[in-house]
Amino acid sequence: MDLKHSGFPVPSDYFGVLWGLSGIKDLVILEHGSPGTCSYNAFNYRIMNRQSPKGKLFSSGMDQDDVVMGRADKVVEAVRELDHNLHPRIIALVATGVTSVIGLDLDGIISEIQPLTHARLVSFPHGGFAGDYNQGIMESFRTMVDLAKEPAEHKPFSVNIIGPTIDSFNNVSDLAEIERMLELLGAEVNTVFTSRTAVEEIEQMASASLNLVTRDLGLETAQILKERFGMPYIHGLPFGVHGSVRWMNDIADNLGLRLEKRTIAQELLKYGYSVLELFGFMQNFDHLRSLLSCPCDYALGLAGWMAEEWGLPPSAVALPARPQMPHVPEKLERMGVSKVLIEPESLTIEDALNSIKPHVIFGSSYDLQIARNVPVKIHAAFPAFDYIYRFDGTPFVGFRGHAYLTQTLVNSLNAHPEVFLS
Amino acid sequence: MIESISNDAGFNEKCLRLSNLSGPGLMPKTACAQYPGTHCSFRAVAGSLTLIKNAYALLLGPAICLYNAKLSMSVRSLTSDPRPNNLLFLEYTQDDVIFGFRNRVMQTILEIDRIYHPELLFVVTTCLQEIVGEDFEATIDEIRSIVKAKLLVIHTENFTSEEATPGIENLFSSFFDLMQPETVVPKSVNILGLWTYHARETELALLLKSKGVEVRNAIPSFCTPSDLAGATGAQMNIVLDQYALPLAKKMRECFSTDYIYCRKPYHPDSIEIWYRDLAGALDIDLSEEIRRMKTESLEMMARARSLLSGRSCALTWNTGRTFDLARLLSEIGIKIDVILAQTILPDDQEDIRKLLSMGVDPWIFRGDNSLQTEALLCRLKPDIFVGGQDPQSLARLGIEPCSISLSHSMFGFGCCKEVLSRLCRRAPGIEALMYKEDLISQGAV
Repeated sequence: MDLKHSGFPVPSDYFGVLWGLSGIKDLVILEHGSPGTCSYNAFNYRIMNRQSPKGKLFSSGMDQDDVVMGRADKVVEAVRELDHNLHPRIIALVATGVTSVIGLDLDGIISEIQPLTHARLVSFPHGGFAGDYNQGIMESFRTMVDLAKEPAEHKPFSVNIIGPTIDSFNNVSDLAEIERMLELLGAEVNTVFTSRTAVEEIEQMASASLNLVTRDLGLETAQILKERFGMPYIHGLPFGVHGSVRWMNDIADNLGLRLEKRTIAQELLKYGYSVLELFGFMQNFDHLRSLLSCPCDYALGLAGWMAEEWGLPPSAVALPARPQMPHVPEKLERMGVSKVLIEPESLTIEDALNSIKPHVIFGSSYDLQIARNVPVKIHAAFPAFDYIYRFDGTPFVGFRGHAYLTQTLVNSLNAHPEVFLS
Repeated sequence: MIESISNDAGFNEKCLRLSNLSGPGLMPKTACAQYPGTHCSFRAVAGSLTLIKNAYALLLGPAICLYNAKLSMSVRSLTSDPRPNNLLFLEYTQDDVIFGFRNRVMQTILEIDRIYHPELLFVVTTCLQEIVGEDFEATIDEIRSIVKAKLLVIHTENFTSEEATPGIENLFSSFFDLMQPETVVPKSVNILGLWTYHARETELALLLKSKGVEVRNAIPSFCTPSDLAGATGAQMNIVLDQYALPLAKKMRECFSTDYIYCRKPYHPDSIEIWYRDLAGALDIDLSEEIRRMKTESLEMMARARSLLSGRSCALTWNTGRTFDLARLLSEIGIKIDVILAQTILPDDQEDIRKLLSMGVDPWIFRGDNSLQTEALLCRLKPDIFVGGQDPQSLARLGIEPCSISLSHSMFGFGCCKEVLSRLCRRAPGIEALMYKEDLISQGAV
């Protein structure tokens, strides 16, 4: 049903655009709409790891007269002011619902004022009517990757990470672990597109030798870079011991590097402890049921790891958005997942919880709220309004992610010993 | 140093001395590109409707507004003043803009009536529908007879005003539609403009109760639709803020319910007058309570003066009479460098006059734009910032944040004491924050 209560209204493409652009230095966002919308956004940035759009996001302060007359004076003045005071390389003009409905032509405004503006002006005209936030993130990626130029130099062991945006759950720790693992291989990160990048870094993306796509939303960008510059790419995240070794080997093969057995051995001695090593002999866990509710890359990685290494394939997986790649449900089913829900309403998740009665749920704050009777609740998806993940030592991915999450699972289950009664 | 503000960094005509303020109204904008800007009617209304019991609110709007409304309430649920989860959402899509929203709205209302059985359902619009101009009143009228819940439409257009005022006034005025004539009960009041779930535990409510005055309704807090319907049985409305005034006026016009308008004071002398006015209007004797509580407040002021005298502060806009709060701060020896205000109300003039007569003439600046505000604070460098502002940014400027948010839902001497106590007691963690930010700003790390 269209009515929402216990779940949350899915953020629109407008939000995706804001989040896709917010990690880019030298770029400011000017939304053309009432200041109320901009002011409200302080909340939605704050629940993403206590971030703030201050100095990044601005409103033109549209009012009734602008709506009635279709006037663009305020946005023109605001562009002039930002250009003069902040000297950004890019000013992104983003439509809100009202701009979109009154049919204000942002590209027309741009062609008029671009000659008088130092910053490059780009437009995002859909105003929240082009789909969910994933569409907005892809739109921002598409627009930004267009800045990439023929590289001045070629860096043989350098990679771009494509996919993380400021809304990506656990991005601080996951990125830290990915960078650490690349360092173990002798590779370096050229840029993180877009959660930690700059206009100049995007222009120089093609100087790297390989693109690592961490999120299905980045596949289109990787494909564009492949077509324009012949850059190969690898898609996926390193989950669990097997997944991490495979991921590192793939990168090593692509870059002509070698993953030393000694390196893997050292990593596994530190971080490779399995659930069997952490549970006690009397702790029976093979009956545990779980439900995963996360975007497809996390879902595929976590489900594979849980099935392959914990011996506990999730009973159900809920994907909040339709994957941008084929056969995800089939892949999950092959891992032993018996139920795959795509874009489920909160009531559907509630039904799944009632029928499966899981011991563990991984999901967003809203999923965990719905799962009142599930003993172990682990935040693993956006939005996470009651959970902070700023510290860089809590990865889910890589060897350290394997250690952290295995330990977290065991500790959480120990806090609910009733789950061991089969 | 301060005089250079008006000649530097574009502060011309935007930063005024209080004595140069021409009168009530909106302060001049500080920038064309604004962040965060003023918050909107929709946000204010969505956040307030959760206070009405046995009611649900159906928010109709684009995902931009609905997602943020849900998040705001979710974040609120983690605070000391959580709100019930009574918001329902129906997204306004591009198809609805083109083909009309009417049918989906009607079906959804029927569905809510069947599933949730609310006594009252608010239907709240956003500016987008107001621009499209679909007639929701007509839609609601069509189904009113087959819906068990009472239905009230609240318009929250945000293009007619730079403030949330029109929407909040619409919210209050919508309550009028529920009201029925009742026999007036002597010594009974409604308190209008009390915005907390703990309304009946406030000093004002408890004091009235102790004198045999029945608080029929604290509006919009803690009241049911039936309570609102019976609000006309009160002898008098106590109106605590400007938003509730149109409702009070309408009630006087249609039901002869008298009202007393008394915005929240902060200074003990003002609080004494405030209570005496209320006591006079209700024919009760509060002199002993006033004397005792005022003495306690004055003692606290003396202690605060010994700790804080000589320090300087920036003061942001607060609930009630901000210029009276400025007077309180001045009397404990705090030098007020700047007051961040958005709209000056006509009834602020008296407090402004008092402040100026004390020789206090701070800068006054519209505080809804973070970058401009920080640039100003960087020049003024006050010791303390009183009110809500990002603590980290303040600490980086070497300014100590002092949040008085708990005082927002307090009244009377309790409110005064809460403010003084917050000023005297450093917030937990503040020393570590200031130390860290100091080291960062020195480039030590």
